[in-house]
Amino acid sequence: MSVSEFRPLSHLKPGARGRIARVTRDLTSRAERLAAMGVSPGATVRVLQTFPGIVFECDQTELAVERMVARAILVELE
Amino acid sequence: MSCPHAIRDLKPTPLLRLRAHPLRIALVGNPNVGKSVIFGRLTGRYVTVSNYPGTTVAVTRGRASVGAEVCDIIDTPGVNAVEGPLSEDEKVTRDLLLTGGAELVVQVADARNLRRALLLTSQLADFGLPMILVLNMIDEARARGVDMDAEGLSAELGIPVIEAVAPEGRGIAELREALAAAARPRVAQDQGRSHIQWADETARRFRTVGTLSLGRVQEWLGRAVRQPLTGLPILCVVLYLTYLFVGVLGAQTLVGLLEDGLFGAYLNPWATAAAAHIPIALVRDFLVGEYGLITMGLTYAIAIVLPVVTTFFLIFGFLEDSGYIPRLAIFSDRLFRSMGLNGRAVLPMVLGLGCDTMATMTTRILSTPKERLIAILLLALGVPCSAQLATIMGILGGISFAAVVTLFGVVLTQLVLVGFLASLVLTGDRSDFIMELPPLRLPRFRNLMTKTALRVRWYLGEAVPLFLIGTVLLFLLDRIGGLAWLAGAARPLVSGVLGLPPKAAEIFVMGFLRRDYGAAGLFLMARDGALTHVQAVVALTVMTLFVPCVANFLMIVKERGLRTGLAILSFVTVIAVGTGGLLNAVLGFFHVSF
Repeated sequence: MSVSEFRPLSHLKPGARGRIARVTRDLTSRAERLAAMGVSPGATVRVLQTFPGIVFECDQTELAVERMVARAILVELE
Repeated sequence: MSCPHAIRDLKPTPLLRLRAHPLRIALVGNPNVGKSVIFGRLTGRYVTVSNYPGTTVAVTRGRASVGAEVCDIIDTPGVNAVEGPLSEDEKVTRDLLLTGGAELVVQVADARNLRRALLLTSQLADFGLPMILVLNMIDEARARGVDMDAEGLSAELGIPVIEAVAPEGRGIAELREALAAAARPRVAQDQGRSHIQWADETARRFRTVGTLSLGRVQEWLGRAVRQPLTGLPILCVVLYLTYLFVGVLGAQTLVGLLEDGLFGAYLNPWATAAAAHIPIALVRDFLVGEYGLITMGLTYAIAIVLPVVTTFFLIFGFLEDSGYIPRLAIFSDRLFRSMGLNGRAVLPMVLGLGCDTMATMTTRILSTPKERLIAILLLALGVPCSAQLATIMGILGGISFAAVVTLFGVVLTQLVLVGFLASLVLTGDRSDFIMELPPLRLPRFRNLMTKTALRVRWYLGEAVPLFLIGTVLLFLLDRIGGLAWLAGAARPLVSGVLGLPPKAAEIFVMGFLRRDYGAAGLFLMARDGALTHVQAVVALTVMTLFVPCVANFLMIVKERGLRTGLAILSFVTVIAVGTGGLLNAVLGFFHVSF
């Protein structure tokens, strides 16, 4: 599977579903905080809303994040 | 709903032994999973329970008897992790475990989020303490089509795994029984793997996620409150209903009943008549005079402020338990970011509307020192607490809607401006906005009542004595001529800059003790016609921008140190008076009369 099929969460439209493929580790603390909330490779995601903030469901948790954070979450679409 | 087989398989160690102190059991878990509810069930002590992460920001202890032994139960702030980057409330929990504050850990988990829970289990196991895992809210998990094999999980981990629905008391008896079987769990490091890999795989083995999704109503409501097109009108309706309930029912109807009815028609005349028998004039005045303990202190505290805080606590508790408040973070994130904060700050800010002192403690949920400092400063500066909101609504509601808008407009502008400048001046970083939204729920009537009763009792215990002390202080000042002197000394400022009658100086003295006490004074002045509308707006604006109360100041000192506390106090005072002066000049220039 080529990397190009992974898309950052910030680019997805409401309703999009998929699995988290990777969380970029440019900022280790960001990746660790996300992982602690269940946002790590393998988790299922569903985008609920993209404006004014990005809201998505990760497994059974509803999370709101800013765009910068969503950019670090790479999703493999279903 | 327990798993007796799994427990029996484990070798129970006898729990009853001689100890230097009671066995200390820490309730640890992700935020908003119901640790405080379980704490309440085990100890019979109520700690505030709400539906948002960060309700508990400090450790609470209580006693519970388990079999023949008495144990210390420790309720801890929720943690997403106990290693890596931690917020201040998470550190409270980690430090407790690090310093040997507990001998046994009961990990409470939201059954829907097994993966996250196991990630934490794996980290907690590093502390080497015997553990038990409680899968709480198993009913909500099942309703969402998530099912778990608790027995299998128990066998895999080697610790008791209990299924529970804490608010109904389900699983609590099983938890008590299982305490003896607590053990150190077999987790990631025992298999030489990373926490996350292990958690991921273990969750997948013992959990089945069905196709069931959220209930229709919940899904629909969730969407309605978080999307701008529907969410913002809903916010306006919520604010308006709050105003109707607190500002009209509380501040007008109930205050009227208590003040004119109970105090005006019965209590005060009766007390005055009774005091007439006291031969010493000084004592008489002390009780029922202009600054009398009964006629002023009690009347302010019970008749004017109590009805308002009670109605406010009720509606506030309802909003807290519904899970609505954290959703406001979605709308406010951008605004807060311009102030060096992020959307998470909505929690302490909205909580400040209840009580700024408590909210100052809640700033621990923010991630960086810079964010906490800005949030504490803004709370002290411009977030009016319930008691104060009450008096504001009481006074300005009687003037005009434009007056209300002016006050809140000025205060809000000041908040944003100060926040913006503070974010430029202060060094440090803003953290990422990552926030968990709790499920929307219909609040439980009993929790709402208990919580409100507890808060009203707290108000009576905390605020009423200060009101009385303030009254005594005013009485003494008045007797030794201090009030007249103060009014004279402050005249250039109070009358010159702010354009207020000299008597208003007294109000500001009262306002230093508690803003709402000062505001209650303004309330009476305004009603007696001692203030013009413009004067009322200016005086209230200054009062709102003051540091809320002595208790809030002390809390700031406790959280951030004396130097920061004094710096905030002087800064806020200068801003308050400066803004009031400017507002007075502007209103005068444009001949605004409301």
